[in-house]
Amino acid sequence: MNLEIAGLTRRFGRTMAVAGVDLHAGPGVLGLLGPNGAGKTSLLRMMATAIPPTSGRLRLLDRDPGSYGPRREIRRRLGYLPQSLGYYPGFTVAEFVEYFALLKEMPPARIPAAVTIAVDRTALGGKANAKLRTLSGGMLRRVGIAQAIVNEPELLLLDEPTAGLDPEQRVAFRALLRALGQRATVVVSTHLVEDVGAACAQVVLMDQGKIVYDGTPGELAARGEGCGVGDAPLERGYSAVLAAARS
Amino acid sequence: MTAASAPAPSGLLPVMRRPGLAAARLLRLELRHSAMLWMLPVAIALFWLTTYRKTMAMPPLWNLRATSMQSGAITDFIAPVVGAAAWMGSREARRRTTDLVTISARPRWAERLTAWAATTSWAMAGYLGCLAVLYGVTAHQASWGGPLWWPAAVAAASLPTLSALGFAAGTLVPSRFTAPLAAIAAFFALALSTELIRGSHSYWQISPLVTGPWDTGPDAGVATFYHFVPDLPIAQVMFLAGLTTAVLGALALPEGAGPRSLRAAAAAVAAAGLLAAGTAVGLAGTGRLDNHGMIAIPALHDAASGRPIRYTPVCSHTAIPVCLNPAYASYLPDTAAALRPVLDELAGLPGTPARISQAAATYRQERGNSVAIGLTGPVLSGTPPVYHLLLPDQLDGPVMTASELASLVRSGAGSDLVASVTGDGPGASQAQRAVTAALMIAAGLPMPGAAPEIVRHANSQPGPSPGARCQRPAAGCPALRVGPGAGPRGQPPPGPAPGSPAYAAARRFAALPAAARRAWLVQHLTALRAGRVTVAQLP
Repeated sequence: MNLEIAGLTRRFGRTMAVAGVDLHAGPGVLGLLGPNGAGKTSLLRMMATAIPPTSGRLRLLDRDPGSYGPRREIRRRLGYLPQSLGYYPGFTVAEFVEYFALLKEMPPARIPAAVTIAVDRTALGGKANAKLRTLSGGMLRRVGIAQAIVNEPELLLLDEPTAGLDPEQRVAFRALLRALGQRATVVVSTHLVEDVGAACAQVVLMDQGKIVYDGTPGELAARGEGCGVGDAPLERGYSAVLAAARS
Repeated sequence: MTAASAPAPSGLLPVMRRPGLAAARLLRLELRHSAMLWMLPVAIALFWLTTYRKTMAMPPLWNLRATSMQSGAITDFIAPVVGAAAWMGSREARRRTTDLVTISARPRWAERLTAWAATTSWAMAGYLGCLAVLYGVTAHQASWGGPLWWPAAVAAASLPTLSALGFAAGTLVPSRFTAPLAAIAAFFALALSTELIRGSHSYWQISPLVTGPWDTGPDAGVATFYHFVPDLPIAQVMFLAGLTTAVLGALALPEGAGPRSLRAAAAAVAAAGLLAAGTAVGLAGTGRLDNHGMIAIPALHDAASGRPIRYTPVCSHTAIPVCLNPAYASYLPDTAAALRPVLDELAGLPGTPARISQAAATYRQERGNSVAIGLTGPVLSGTPPVYHLLLPDQLDGPVMTASELASLVRSGAGSDLVASVTGDGPGASQAQRAVTAALMIAAGLPMPGAAPEIVRHANSQPGPSPGARCQRPAAGCPALRVGPGAGPRGQPPPGPAPGSPAYAAARRFAALPAAARRAWLVQHLTALRAGRVTVAQLP
C-alpha cells in the first residue's frame, strides 16, 4: 500500500478540519470529492507532509513521515500540486520545473531530460522558455502539474488540477492521470465529478472532515439512482451520499 | 497533455545525486533571478556618485583612498544589499510557494542558503568591480606604495553580513514591506552606531565604517611613513564573520529547516559565531591610538607593524632642497614653487637649514574624539640643520588640492621657516620681529598676524611639542589647539604692530635691495638671534 491512513485528525485552533479519516490506496487514481470545507485540502496537505497530523497514523510509501529520514525519502518520491499554486514570475517554465526537480533531489544528470518530458506531457513544450508571468491561468496550472510529475512520483497529490483548464486540456489531462496511475498512487481532489468518472478507479467522498463514501465511481453513481439531485449519474450519487450523511 | 510513457520512477533507478552539482545548478538558477541583480546598478551608481568621485578628488595616496573606499563602499551597499536580501528571504511567503518548498526533499535551510549565496555573490561581484576600478585608477595615479588590502577586506566581509541580516529579516517577517524597512533600518543603524564612539578604546569601533580614529576623517599622514596596522580591521572581519555565521546558523534552527543533526550543528555554529563576534567587540574595546595614527589592539598587535617604512625621498632643485616622501611626489613641484621665494631669501645665511624634509606626524588621543597631531621632535635639528616639515594634509581637516596645499605651505611653513632662522618666537625682540616681517614681505608672504586664513599650520615653533587639532568644532573644540609646553601653533609669529617703530623698520628693511639685505643678515644674523640687535640698528 502506498497510502495507509488510520484515525487521522487535523485541528486548526477550534476547527477540526479532518476528523478521523481511514484510507488505504495502492497504485491507481483515487478521486477525492467533497463540498467546500470538507477537509480535502487539509487531508492532501498532510499526505504531502506539508503539515503534520494532530493525531492518527499516516504511512506513505511504506514509510512513517513522522521521522526526518523517512520523510525525506518520501518527499523525493512525492509530487504535489497545491490548490493555490505559488510561482516565481521571473522564472521560465523550464526553470521552474528544474528548480523543483533540484529541490526534490533528483540526480542532476537526469534533470534536463525529466524537465523536457514533464513539460511535454503537460503540453507546454512550446512555452518552455516563456516567463511564468506571461502565462494564462490554465497554463500556470499545467506548469504546476509539470513540477509535480517531473520526478515521476510514486505518490502524486493533485488539488484541483483541472481548475482553469479548457475542455480539450481536461480530456488530455485525464489520459495523463490514467497513465500515471498505472504505476503510482494518484490522489485527485476535485469538485468536477466528470473528472472522477473518467479517470478514477476509486472515489472517496468527504464531508465535515470525515469520509462518508469510499468505493468505485460506478457504485457512487448507483447510490443516486432514483433519489439524487443532479444532471449526471455521478452527480446524483454524490448528492445522495451527502444528503444521507447529513441526515 | 500527453499520456506518453516516461522513465521509470526515480526510486527504482540507481541514484547518483551528486549534491555539489545539484547545489551549483540551484545557485545558477538563483543567480539568474536574484533581486540583487536588479539592485546592483543602484549600488554601483551610489558608489560612483558618493564614493568614487569623492575618493578620486583626494590625492593619489593609497592610505587615503583605501580608507575612504572602505567606509564609502559599505555605506553605498547597505541599503541595496539588505533590501535585496530581505526581498529574497520573504520570497516564499510572498509568492505562496511555502508548501511546495516545504515538501521538497532538500533541507529548507540549504535552499535558503542558496538564495542568500546568490544575493551575496552579486553584491560581492559589484563591490569587487567598484574596488578594481578605484584601485586600478589609484595604481595608475599613485607615485609610490601599493594597495591596502585590509580596508578592502573589511568592506568585502561586510557584504555577506548585510545580506544575512537582510535575509533573516525577510524570512522572519515575510512581508513586501520588510525589504524597504530593513534597508532603511540597516542604513541608519550602521550610520548612527558611529555616533556612540568615544575615543580609541570604544567598543563601537567594531562598526565596519570605522577605519581609524573616528572623526579624524581621511588622514594622509596615516600609513605612509609607517606600516598599516591591521589590528582594527582584523577585529572587524572577525566580528563580521562571526555575525554572518551566527545569523546563517540561526536560520537552520526552526523545526523543518533540516534534520535534527543539522539543527544541532547549526546551533553550535551559531553559538560559535556569536562568541567570535562578541570577542571581536571586546577586542575593539581594548584598542588605543598608536603614535602613528592607527588603532592598535594589544592582543592582535604585531610589533613589527610599528616599524617605519624605508623610502628614498624626492627632492626639489631649489636653493634649499625640499624633500618629500615619494607618496607625495605629486605635491613636490607646487610645494617647492611655493617655498622658493623664502628659500631664495634664506639660502646661505648662517643657521639656515640645509634641507627641508617632510616628517611623519605623531598622534595622541585626547579627550573624547579629539586627537593631537604634530611633530615628535624639534622642527629644526641635526648638523647641518634640517627643517622638519608637516604638510597640511598630514593634519586633520578637509583634503585639499595640490595648489591649496601649496598656498598653505607657503604662508604657514614659509613664515615658520623665516622665524626659525631669525629666532623669532615667544620672547623674541622687536628687532627679530621686524626682520622676520621684512623677510616675509620680501618673499611675498603676508605680513605676520595679517593672514587669518593660515590655520592649518603645525610648524610655527621650533621645539619638541606637537601641535594639535580638534576634530569636532561643533562639539565646542577650537579649530586649532595648543599643545602643552609650547607656544601657539598653527599661526604665524606675531608681527610688529602697525605704526610701531618695529613696523616701520620692517618696511624699511624689506625695501632694501636683496643684496644689501643679505649682506646685512650675513653679518648680523647671529647677533640678531642672540637678541643683541635693536630696532634702531636695523638699516
